[in-house]
Amino acid sequence: MSAANVISILSSKKARTMTEPNPAAEQWADALELVAKRQDTAAFERLFKHFAPLIKAFALSSGLHKQGDHLPDELVQEVMLAIWRKSASYDRRKAAASTWIFTIARNQRIDMLRRLSKYRGDVSADEIWDLESDTELFGEIRQSRVQEHVRIGLYELPVDQRQVMAKVFLEDKSHQEVADEMGLPLGTVKSRVRLAMKKMKLSLEAYDL
Amino acid sequence: MSQWHPQTEQLVEFAAGTCHTGISVAISVHLHYCPECRKRLSELESASAVLFEHQKPIAVSDNLFASVLSEIQQGKVTESVKPAAPARATSRYPKALSSLIPGTLEELEWRSPMKNLKVTHLMTDESGLIVGLHHMKAGGRVPNHQHRGDEISVVLEGGFSDELGTYGPGDFIFRTEEDVHSPQADAHEDCLMLSVVSAPVKLTGALGWLINPFLKA
Ligand SMILES: [Zn+2]
Repeated sequence: MSAANVISILSSKKARTMTEPNPAAEQWADALELVAKRQDTAAFERLFKHFAPLIKAFALSSGLHKQGDHLPDELVQEVMLAIWRKSASYDRRKAAASTWIFTIARNQRIDMLRRLSKYRGDVSADEIWDLESDTELFGEIRQSRVQEHVRIGLYELPVDQRQVMAKVFLEDKSHQEVADEMGLPLGTVKSRVRLAMKKMKLSLEAYDL
Repeated sequence: MSQWHPQTEQLVEFAAGTCHTGISVAISVHLHYCPECRKRLSELESASAVLFEHQKPIAVSDNLFASVLSEIQQGKVTESVKPAAPARATSRYPKALSSLIPGTLEELEWRSPMKNLKVTHLMTDESGLIVGLHHMKAGGRVPNHQHRGDEISVVLEGGFSDELGTYGPGDFIFRTEEDVHSPQADAHEDCLMLSVVSAPVKLTGALGWLINPFLKA
């Protein structure tokens, strides 16, 4: 469901978002800092109102509801609790708030899917996708520039590339699984992703922004 | 700096969290050594976040915020203001290996399937990928072998070379099942590698029928 959703939202917001900078980025970083410094529940509620429905969409896109109706809300709850718990380690110089929250949602979803598959993991997602380990500061400014390229790039993508990007990046599917689902050769999926990444100015090989 | 990196697709799947645990561990170890790929990962995560924010929001149940808040207020969520301890400083290995190598290397169960090579099994992931360590004695050469499946090696300490290149710490070496190679450790230093294989390796060469380092893994 969500690839289609992403696409419909993309086309409807097209004209507006392309020129706008992203003041929201600042707002969410501020809110995370308030939660960290003052355990500010009002700031936390603002974050919840904006991000909880996105986390739920993210949960649904991986088919979590098929394993239990309560699971998508349960993931939202776990992610929001993790945001509260880890807020002190959020550093706006390193990551945009949305990126930081996405990585928490991703890690929690991985752990939840593994628990459901009865696979007793030897390593937790947080150990592998280590949120606190970055020593270098890529910087909020650099990140928001990357995100701006991605936003603009997204609108210029042909539908087939957008669809594959949404599936590969959000729906918990490997390139191979996307290829199987869409009845496409693996090479076609890989090249659509690479073409899309090129348009979004994402590094494919050694590359400096 | 590392010269051998994961493929773009592998890094994309790592960013999306869709690759198997064994491969994720190998990529995570490579990232520990490779600022270039960390930067690429940060870009991919930024891109994912944009896609994430462009999803159509789906309403959560009405009382969800209240129940999250009450869980917080009941004090079940306690570590709010305490920054996470820098776990990395305590181990000489990347964080992804901290649970897999809880103590020293000597405490692990090593087998020596052939001269110059010791292997240990760390875990088998949900897809059957076998994650282990290989330790090659300085100057030692491993007989020609072919892989029945893919193999990823990430150098942790020391270095080695084979028919296709020379590798040092952090290098991420991906071999498919067509490749036959006989790695040799650098002369001056033992080589420790993380190894992720999708199926037991099959030795070719004269002694091939004798030895399979993973047979009893
Ligand atoms: Zn690299």
